[in-house]
Amino acid sequence: MKNNEHLIEVENLSKFYTQNGMSITAVKSISMDIRKGEFTAIAGPSGSGKTTLLNLISGLDIPSEGTVLLAGKAISRMSGNELSDFRRDHIGLIFQSFNLVPVLTVAENIEYIMLLQGVSKKERAKRVSLILKDVDLQEKENRFPAQLSGGQQQRVAIARAMVANPDIILADEPTANLDSKTGSALIDMMKDLNERKDKTFIFSTHDNMIMERAKRLILLKDGEIESDENHD
Amino acid sequence: MFFIKLGWRNILRNKKRMALAGLAITIGMASLIILNALVAGMNNNMIINATNTYLGHGQIHAKGFKETFESKNTINELPQVLANLKAEKSIESITLRTQSFAMLSSAFNVESVFLFGIDPKTEIDISQTKDLIIKGEFLSNNKQNEIIIGKKLSEILDVEPGDRIVLTVARAASGELSQDLFRVGGIFLFNIRELDSGIAFININKSQELLNIGKNVHEIALKFHKLSTIEDPIIDFWSRYSENDNKALSWKELLPGIDAAMKMSSFFSLFIGMVLLAVVAVVVMNTLFMSLYERMYEFGVLRAIGTRPLSMALMILSEAGVLAVISIIFGLILGIAISYLTSVTGIDYVGLEMGNVTFREPIRPVLIMGHLTLFPVYVFIFTMVAAIVPAIHAAKLTPAETMKKD
Repeated sequence: MKNNEHLIEVENLSKFYTQNGMSITAVKSISMDIRKGEFTAIAGPSGSGKTTLLNLISGLDIPSEGTVLLAGKAISRMSGNELSDFRRDHIGLIFQSFNLVPVLTVAENIEYIMLLQGVSKKERAKRVSLILKDVDLQEKENRFPAQLSGGQQQRVAIARAMVANPDIILADEPTANLDSKTGSALIDMMKDLNERKDKTFIFSTHDNMIMERAKRLILLKDGEIESDENHD
Repeated sequence: MFFIKLGWRNILRNKKRMALAGLAITIGMASLIILNALVAGMNNNMIINATNTYLGHGQIHAKGFKETFESKNTINELPQVLANLKAEKSIESITLRTQSFAMLSSAFNVESVFLFGIDPKTEIDISQTKDLIIKGEFLSNNKQNEIIIGKKLSEILDVEPGDRIVLTVARAASGELSQDLFRVGGIFLFNIRELDSGIAFININKSQELLNIGKNVHEIALKFHKLSTIEDPIIDFWSRYSENDNKALSWKELLPGIDAAMKMSSFFSLFIGMVLLAVVAVVVMNTLFMSLYERMYEFGVLRAIGTRPLSMALMILSEAGVLAVISIIFGLILGIAISYLTSVTGIDYVGLEMGNVTFREPIRPVLIMGHLTLFPVYVFIFTMVAAIVPAIHAAKLTPAETMKKD
């Protein structure tokens, strides 16, 4: 895929749901495109639809209306297994609460997705070793998540998201549970990975540090795009 | 292998809860072994009591004799039958008997009895009648006019060893009455009312004389070296000796009540086993569901990063499998240990009557190798079946709904 081609194409995307008998619009008629290599922040106040939009883009949630094309494939038309496989192979996810498997070591958490892909043991070990260098956790591979700091756990989560070489990395409030210093270091690391490895990052955030470093800032309000600016 | 490793580690996340679930499986496994060992021991005890007390492992009669007890209906081709039995390698011992209705009269009372003519020398190889003498002595070949009667009968007739009674029988063929005076040689106690009040034993030679049947007999009781021979289709003993208008029957056909009692106890142990396993299955299912609900968000994340529904189900199944294997091993050890210890000490039900048989020895559980291999498989299958429901539930989880719940 060329750099100027659209990796993500969102067309008239909407999500409605009912809560306590009331109809709620989380996302309303959003259309946007993301190119390969972008470092994009989707920002807005709480309830603006940031996380919902990210969930719709990643296929974790089903849109009420509209379509999402990822690497040319319409994800809303995929079956359960197809969607699982697609996310496994093309999308890396980073969560606010790190969400590492507590009974797996750092190395095992990172290689988990490659296990699902059927990658050989030798290849898995090689790629884990390389990615641990990228996130500066070389000596922690046999530790369990509970033995790591918040920042270290989030770095493991980044490594897990990237090790399978996905097309896109979606991060939902990745710095929300971190102190500012750690959060800043983490953003710099992801920026570096974006520039060195041309990885596409999309953040859902209300963290100013991410918004300032993002190349593109999409502001949401009440489920709609309020502004969409490039900061190149 | 990864899922087994993951299953093992997930079990250790909540040790107390998994230990309780494991304990249920362990107790279920041990209970199955102990219960079935006990039933096997009880059945063994019943068979030994039934066959050793008087019956033998089997008997041969003339066809129709057991229905009418007509004195003239003696075993056909007796010399040939005896010669054939002598040549049988599977047979340990045999004894000859006559059987007839009779009347016993004392100075105080008259009572009808069923009279057995026995050979004292060979009788002791088949039955325990000699061991059951509580007063006086067993019959001997050199005292032809002695009779032994049951305790209850002795009370009815008000006689003791040494007292005289008159025995009256009907001669075979003619039906004429034949009488003789006998001395009470001994009193026995079977602890079975019908036997203690209704039967008497005299020497076979004397009974043949009184019945006027020459050297013929009504019954051959026999014992095999191995009890299992009665069901050996290769030896096929019973059909071979049911020729020439004779009928050969094993103890199972002679005492169908015992066979029925054994089948009933086997059925009950199966029923109780099923109930036990059902309870274990419910405990396991509940534990796995609790574990699943506690980790809903984590499961949602795993689905989100690309785990297929089948793999989610395999995670739950692997936890159940690891738990089952460990618990079954402990259950096996516990069940074998308790069964073995109980078999050494025995369970004392001496005197208890069941299926017309009185227990004369303590019940000793018997471990059956087939059970020790089959029952673990059953418990494992039941545990895995119980895990299917939570596994399917885990497979159906969607990332959106589970990650919203946290």
